[in-house]
Amino acid sequence: MVQIAMNAAEARMRDTFTALMWSLSYPGRIHILPAAGQVAFEVVAEALVDLETSFYTPHPEFARAIGQLGARMHPPQSALYQFYPTLCEDDLVTLRMAPVGTYAYPDASATLVLGCNFDEGQRLRLRGPGVDGAIHLTVGALPTAFWALRAEMIRYPLGWDVFLVMNDWIVGLPRTTQVEVF
Amino acid sequence: MKLAELAAPRQDYSYGFLDAFAKRELRRRMLKAIAIPGYQVTYASRELPIARGWGTGGLQVTLSLAGPDDVLKVIDQGADDSVNAANLRRFIARMTGVATTTDACRATIIQSRHRVPEERLRERQALVLQVPDPEPLRHVEPNMSRAREMHADADYALMWLSLYEQLVRFKQFIGGASYPVMVHQRYLMSPSPIPRWDTPTLHQAPHLTLLSAGREKRLYAVPPYTDVYPIEFADVHFRVESQADRVCANTGAAHKYMDEVPQPDGTSLFRLSDTGYAEKLIKRLRGETVKIGPTYYDSNGEFYKPGYLKSRDGQDIEL
Amino acid sequence: MAYVAARGGEQATRQATLLYHALNGPITAATVRAIEQSLPYLVDRVMGEGSLYAPELTALAIAQAGGDLYEAVLLLRAYRSTQPRLAYAETIAQEQMLTTRRISAAFKDIPGGQMLGPTLDYSHRLLRLDVLDDRGATGATDAAAQSHNSRETGTDAELVQADEPAPATYPPVAAWHRLNGLLDPLPERDPVDPAELPDVTRDPISFPAPRAHRLQSLARADTGGVLSLGYASMRGYGLIHPTVNEVRLGYADVNLRHPITGVVFSAGRVRVSQAEVVNTFAEGQAKLALGFTATLGWNEVKTIAGSMLDLEMDSPDAHPAHTEEFVLYHTEPVEASGFCIHYKLPHYVTFSSSLEALRRVLDEQKAEASEQQGAPS
Repeated sequence: MVQIAMNAAEARMRDTFTALMWSLSYPGRIHILPAAGQVAFEVVAEALVDLETSFYTPHPEFARAIGQLGARMHPPQSALYQFYPTLCEDDLVTLRMAPVGTYAYPDASATLVLGCNFDEGQRLRLRGPGVDGAIHLTVGALPTAFWALRAEMIRYPLGWDVFLVMNDWIVGLPRTTQVEVF
Repeated sequence: MKLAELAAPRQDYSYGFLDAFAKRELRRRMLKAIAIPGYQVTYASRELPIARGWGTGGLQVTLSLAGPDDVLKVIDQGADDSVNAANLRRFIARMTGVATTTDACRATIIQSRHRVPEERLRERQALVLQVPDPEPLRHVEPNMSRAREMHADADYALMWLSLYEQLVRFKQFIGGASYPVMVHQRYLMSPSPIPRWDTPTLHQAPHLTLLSAGREKRLYAVPPYTDVYPIEFADVHFRVESQADRVCANTGAAHKYMDEVPQPDGTSLFRLSDTGYAEKLIKRLRGETVKIGPTYYDSNGEFYKPGYLKSRDGQDIEL
Repeated sequence: MAYVAARGGEQATRQATLLYHALNGPITAATVRAIEQSLPYLVDRVMGEGSLYAPELTALAIAQAGGDLYEAVLLLRAYRSTQPRLAYAETIAQEQMLTTRRISAAFKDIPGGQMLGPTLDYSHRLLRLDVLDDRGATGATDAAAQSHNSRETGTDAELVQADEPAPATYPPVAAWHRLNGLLDPLPERDPVDPAELPDVTRDPISFPAPRAHRLQSLARADTGGVLSLGYASMRGYGLIHPTVNEVRLGYADVNLRHPITGVVFSAGRVRVSQAEVVNTFAEGQAKLALGFTATLGWNEVKTIAGSMLDLEMDSPDAHPAHTEEFVLYHTEPVEASGFCIHYKLPHYVTFSSSLEALRRVLDEQKAEASEQQGAPS
C-alpha cells in the first residue's frame, strides 16, 4: 500500500486542532495557529465545525465563510460553537444565552472563540487544571464585564469553554480555570 | 484542463484512516473531555479494521491526533513487543507515517493498554489509554443511564459502601487494576485498567492523559496538573501493588512494576513490565550511553511526590 | 393462496421447497468439497452446534440449507439421530492434545511458551479488493493467489517455515496455579466408565445440572446465544472482567479400546477448541475460580464466552440471565431456532380465542362508556 500523505487542508486542520488541544490543556499559555487575523478564526472554524454542528456569529461576513463549511447557523441560545472576532459590550447580552450544558451532559455546552489582545488590558491570575500553581496573563480588547459574566455562567461542571485569539496566538480557558482579575 | 488533473491523486484511505468528519468529531469531543476532567464524553466511535475491544478507542484518539511530526510509542501490558501493540503500531504507522520508538522519553504520543511507563512523562506528551470499561460505577450500577444520573448528582454513595463492604469482609481494599479515582474533586473516574502502581502517576502530572473506550463509545481525559485521588478512607488508605522482593531477572532492577513469569517447576521469575525502560537499563549495563529519565518510583520504592501515597506496606492502622 | 388449505396444500409446500432450492442453485459434490475446504471455521461452528464431527456432511448441510446455519445445524442433528453409538472414546487430557494454538492472557510468558498458531487476531481487517480484479478469470494460478496473500499483509512477507518445528503438546497453564495453591487440585477420581457419564443427548437436563450436562450443553450451544449472554456478563451484568487463563486449539485423538484385544488405539483426530477463564475473589472469597468450555471444531468466541458463563452459573447471586437454567435452556440452537420459526405456523385457533376475549372486554368498556354518557348529570 502506498504511504498515505496529508493534504494541505488536513495538515492545517490538524495543526489547528493541536493548538486548540494544547492551549486547553495548558490554560493561559500562548499557542500558535497556522493562520493569523480573520483567517485565524476561519481555520479554527474549519477544524471544529461541519454540517454535524451548529455555530453562531454576529458578523454576517464571517457567518457566510463558516456556512461554506456546511455548518448550520443557530441562535446564540443553542449554537455550540460561537465566534466573536471582536466582542463588544452589547454582545454580552447574547453571550449570556450561550448553552452551558446539563448536569447529565455538561459537554452539550458552548465553545466560544473570542478576539482579544494580549498586549495590554486586564491582568489575570489563572489557577486550576492544566496550570502548575498559578499563571499570569494580560488580556485586553474584551468588555471589562466579560470576566464577571464568565464567573457567573460557570457552575461547574456546567459552563462554557473559551479560546482567546489575537493574530495567530491562541489561549484556552476551559471552564475549570479560575480567573482572578487584578 | 482535464478532470483528472483537478482530482487529487487516488488514495484508498484518508490520512489516519478516519475521514475528515470522523476526525473532527473526535477532536471536538476530546476538547470537551479536557475541559471537564474525568467526565465521560460520548462519541460516535467508528468501526476500524481492528476487532472491537482491541484498542479501537485509543486507536481513534491516536489517529485523530497524530501527524507527520509525531513520534509514537505503543505498548500493551508495558511491552512494546506484545502482539497487539506491534499490530496497532504497524497500523498507525501505515496510516499516518509517524516515526515510532520504544523510548517513553522520546515519544510525543504513547498509546497504551494497561500501563503507564516507569519513566516520568513530561509536558506536551499525550498518553492515550485504551479503555475496555469507562464506567467506574459499573459493578455497583450496570445500567448506564442510571450511572450517568449518579455522576450528574455526584452521588457516589454506593461506591463508598462497596469500599466499606470490602473492609468488613477482607479487612482491606481488594480492588485490583482500574482502581477508581476522583478527578478534580468532582468526577469519579475509572483509570483504564492500569495497575494501582500507575494510578498516582496521573495526579498533577505534566502530561495529558486521554482515555478512550471504542466499544462503549465514551472518552475522557485527565488534563495536565489536575488532582487525581484514589478513593480511600481517612484511616484506611489506598495501596499500590507491593513489588518488594521482586527483582528483574534481566536487569536486576527493583521497585518497578514486574511481570510474573511462571516456570515449569511451579516457581516464578520476575521481569520488568516496562520493556522500553528495561531495554535502556540493559544498554547501560552493556556500557552504552543511554539517557534514562527519572522514574515515578525511586530505587527504594518511594513515589516522586512525597506524601501522596499515605500508605506503604504494613503502615495502615489495624482494624 | 391460502397457506393451509385442505386442497392444494401439499402441492404448494412442495413447490415452496423447490423454489428455495432453485433460487440457491444446484449443489454438487464439488460445491460441498469447496465449502469444506475453503470455509473450515464455518464448518467447525456448525459441527460444534450440530454436535456431530463430520466435516463433509456438515459442508453438505450448509450447501443444502443455502447457508442458513440453523437449518444446517438441524440437518446435522437429525442425521445424528440416525447413527448408532458404537463405542465410547477414552478420556483425553490437555497435555496430550496435538496443539496448534495455545495462549494465555494471564501471564506474559508461560511454561511451553505462547503459541500463536493460526489466527486473524493481529491482522488489519481491510477488504482485499484486489482479489476482485480477477473476476471472471477462470482457474487463477497458485502464484496469483500467493501474490494476493503478499499484498494483503502490506509487505512482501510470505509464510516461512520455522527452523524448528513447534512442540506438539503443551502443559495446561492451570497446572502452575495448582502447584502454587491458587487453584484447588484436580480431584483424584476412580477412572469413570464413560457409559455412566450423564449425557444430554439421552437424559433431559435437570437443575442443578450435573457438570457433564453443563459442559455438554455449552459444547453444543448456539455460538451467538452464548456470546450474547456471555457479553452481558463481561459488560457489567456479572463478573465484568475475568482473565483468559488459556485458549487452546488443536486436534484430539479419538482413542478407542479394541473390543477383543483391549488395546487402545487412535481411530483418528478431531479438531477441538477449549477456553479457561479465571476470576479472583470469586463468590466474595479470596480464591481463584476457573470457568471452562470446550467444543468440537475451532470456535474461540464460543469457548471464551462459554467459560465465562460457566463461572457465572456457579455464582450464588448471578443475574437472572446468567443462572444455569436460563443459560442452558436458551442457548440450545435447535430448540431456540425451531421454536422461533414455529411462530410462522398457523395460530388462528389460539388467536381467535384470544381475540374473542379481547373483544368481550372492549365491548364491555364501550357499553360502560355510553352508559355514563347517557346518564343525567
